[in-house]
Amino acid sequence: MSMTVLRKEDALARGFKQGLFDRVTGLFEIIEKLPDVMSDEEVEGLMSVLPADARASLEAMLIPRNREGSLAFMKMACKWLADAKTAPLEGKKSILVPFCFPPELVHCFDNSYPITSEVLSSLGVIALEGRGERYFEMALGLGLPDHICSANAVEVGSMLGSDDFQPQAIISAAVGSCDINSKTHELVANYHGIPLFVLEKPVENTERGREQYQKNFETLITDLEEFLGEELTEEKLRRTCERVNQGNTLMMELWDLHKAVPDPVPNLFALFTYGARYTMWGTEEAIKCVQTMIEISKRRLKEGAYPADREVARCLLTYTSYYFDLAGLFNWMEERGYTYLGDGLDLLFPGMIDTSSRESMIYGLATEAWNMPMTRQVGGHSMSMCWLEDALWASKDLGADCAIYSGHHSCKQTWSVASILRSELMNRAGIPMLSVQGDSWLKRTTPMSVIQKEIDEFIRNVVVPKRSDRRKVRRRAADRVEGGANAG
Amino acid sequence: MDVASVKVGSAMDAVNKVSEVVENDYVKKWKESGGKVLGYACVTTPPEIIDAAGILPYRIRALGNPNTEIADAHLARFNCSFCRSCLQLGLDGTYDFLDGFIETNGCDHLRGMFENWMYVKPADFFHYVKVPHLTTEDAMNYYVEELVFFKEAIEKHFGVEITDDKLKAAIARQEAIRDRLRQIYSMREGSSPSFTGAEALSLFLLASAVPYDDFIELADKAIAERTGTGVTGYRARLMLCGAATDELDLVRAIEDVGALVVTDALCYGARAFWSPVSTEGDLVKSLADTYLKDMLCPRMYEDFPRRRDFVLNEIKKADVDGVMVMHNKFCDVHGVDNVQLRLDLEKRDIPVLQLEKEYGSRADIGRIRTRVQAFLERIGGKS
Repeated sequence: MSMTVLRKEDALARGFKQGLFDRVTGLFEIIEKLPDVMSDEEVEGLMSVLPADARASLEAMLIPRNREGSLAFMKMACKWLADAKTAPLEGKKSILVPFCFPPELVHCFDNSYPITSEVLSSLGVIALEGRGERYFEMALGLGLPDHICSANAVEVGSMLGSDDFQPQAIISAAVGSCDINSKTHELVANYHGIPLFVLEKPVENTERGREQYQKNFETLITDLEEFLGEELTEEKLRRTCERVNQGNTLMMELWDLHKAVPDPVPNLFALFTYGARYTMWGTEEAIKCVQTMIEISKRRLKEGAYPADREVARCLLTYTSYYFDLAGLFNWMEERGYTYLGDGLDLLFPGMIDTSSRESMIYGLATEAWNMPMTRQVGGHSMSMCWLEDALWASKDLGADCAIYSGHHSCKQTWSVASILRSELMNRAGIPMLSVQGDSWLKRTTPMSVIQKEIDEFIRNVVVPKRSDRRKVRRRAADRVEGGANAG
Repeated sequence: MDVASVKVGSAMDAVNKVSEVVENDYVKKWKESGGKVLGYACVTTPPEIIDAAGILPYRIRALGNPNTEIADAHLARFNCSFCRSCLQLGLDGTYDFLDGFIETNGCDHLRGMFENWMYVKPADFFHYVKVPHLTTEDAMNYYVEELVFFKEAIEKHFGVEITDDKLKAAIARQEAIRDRLRQIYSMREGSSPSFTGAEALSLFLLASAVPYDDFIELADKAIAERTGTGVTGYRARLMLCGAATDELDLVRAIEDVGALVVTDALCYGARAFWSPVSTEGDLVKSLADTYLKDMLCPRMYEDFPRRRDFVLNEIKKADVDGVMVMHNKFCDVHGVDNVQLRLDLEKRDIPVLQLEKEYGSRADIGRIRTRVQAFLERIGGKS
């Protein structure tokens, strides 16, 4: 593999000056000005001024059934980005966090602001012309291997190779559950000479592991207090934790709405749910975003609304999704009757934080962190069994007919045990799992048309016939009971 | 390189013969006499604890095995080929002589390898040592506790008691092994090194694959044979850094084109033996200090400067002309760490060749030789 070095100065000379953060915030400044309710004509007018890739994403988000929810999500994202941009001007320190870290801890402080690496990458992929791939190339230009995770590398490439926003510190919370995430953040911290705060997850989901994690979490708080020059008081904690509890209650309500047949929650909301969780949790904006999704879903439940004639298959994605073609995945699936119940990043297991004291709130926040996706599953003592346990529970709770592993090629830890998950989902629950090979953030690896074809063939040839068999088995069982009763 | 300047001694031939196979004659003899063997893969596993139980510690290796067809049904193609290669040998029966396994969370691939191995072919004894990624006081206490659990698990399963005296004796034995390796590495630092890089790797592999007495006998003979001899005529002195590299053929291929590997920072190499274990005070804590606090591995965080300084020190000690940083395809910890290392070394005007390779792939050897030849042209080197 060629390891040509693209240094920052070369990147700037080649016109890559504007980084991902600057470009995304620029685009979202336009979105911020949109009204909360938009007519079809207004949407059409907006589309006519957008570049092709942004237009494709917004078209997917602004079709009538997604529009209200999408606007609520985008308004929340606008606030997140705008605050991130102004944070340094207000004397706040921006802290880069991974998706598997509860941003509400950073929101608790007055002097800091969380920027979530994977969400920024995703917004870049969704909104920017070229889907942010130029930033991934900047990371490769530094000599990083092509198997690094694009979820981070798109954003981090921008930080390393352009004149983009720079955080003042990084919290690395994937240590114990994802090597590439942790190593990438370590590299950025060393490269820019900024502090790296490590929150390690001991690889055991036991009481002992939880106690150790608590110690690690409390050390992190002490380090942050020192770094920010600010005490994390009970009052600040309570202010945020109460909003976290509100959000968590709403999230559970939204989860329950997915159980209805057909699922009244539009597919795309699965993405918005964790988009809110990973950025603005603990703020009014996140609460408002989830509330809107619930209201829409309840309305659709009442109307019996579903995009296809019937719900053909209920699908649980067991890990990441695909973010480079929202229409091609989320909308395409539900228009064919393939419900997207959620993915691995929706496995959030929200709880209620006891807000009675500083200690109880810190314990509650640590529990939130402990239960974050990836941390909870592949950060466990057995990656396969902890992942399986959650996937099985979610499949049963939501009535999934099948599982789909998106096979993001950088997820080496899940790839290493995906065969066990597939076997055990079938053995224990009769749930077939499709493994797709692709990159969740880079469109170049596997085109959406190929992904669609694989999903389509899987559902039509494996899932539906199998479900019919199950129904036949149930019917025969019911007949036997009925026959027995008649004979009696 | 003037190979003739090195005496080809029978001891080194014997070492090579043993190191090139997984189940060597010494292991077979040990098993025939009723001895038990436990396999481990990662340098965070203290073999002293196994040794103290009278069990032979054996470091799992793949020795460049290029076949992975059975393993590929379990691990994915996106997992590193070293782990796939080891899993292959586990599932095809090559490692059936092992009486149990020690897993550590060395990296994501290694964890997956053990999970699949045990899923397909469960062992009578399997213990997971959970190793922190930091060396804070809390992390060290946790690891000490883990080592106590490890010791207790062996005691319980194999019905032995590991007393302090036994542990002290095992530490002394392992220290003697490490001492031989230090001596062998030191003998490579002069202008006419007594061992080639491939030979040093062969001796390293021997150290964790045969009983103590046998290693000491073979190593002492090899050292005696090579004392006062040296390799000359090489084009440049190289240091190897990076991922799991137990591929003798790879190092030979690098040296065949005129380079001489004079030191390394590999986990199948120098990262595993420089730090001594103290026999003062709490023995388990001493083991923890050596195997975690002093460990040099990119799996550790907040520790890059120490890893880099180790490399810089080795460069100076062994008068290195250029550094090869390698990682196996899909290895994240080394793939990223090597970039940091390369950038730091280049800032100091130290020539670096960064190389991604497929583990055990014979098809890769030709390409690697070309890259090394080009690197040697670039750095000039001494002769």
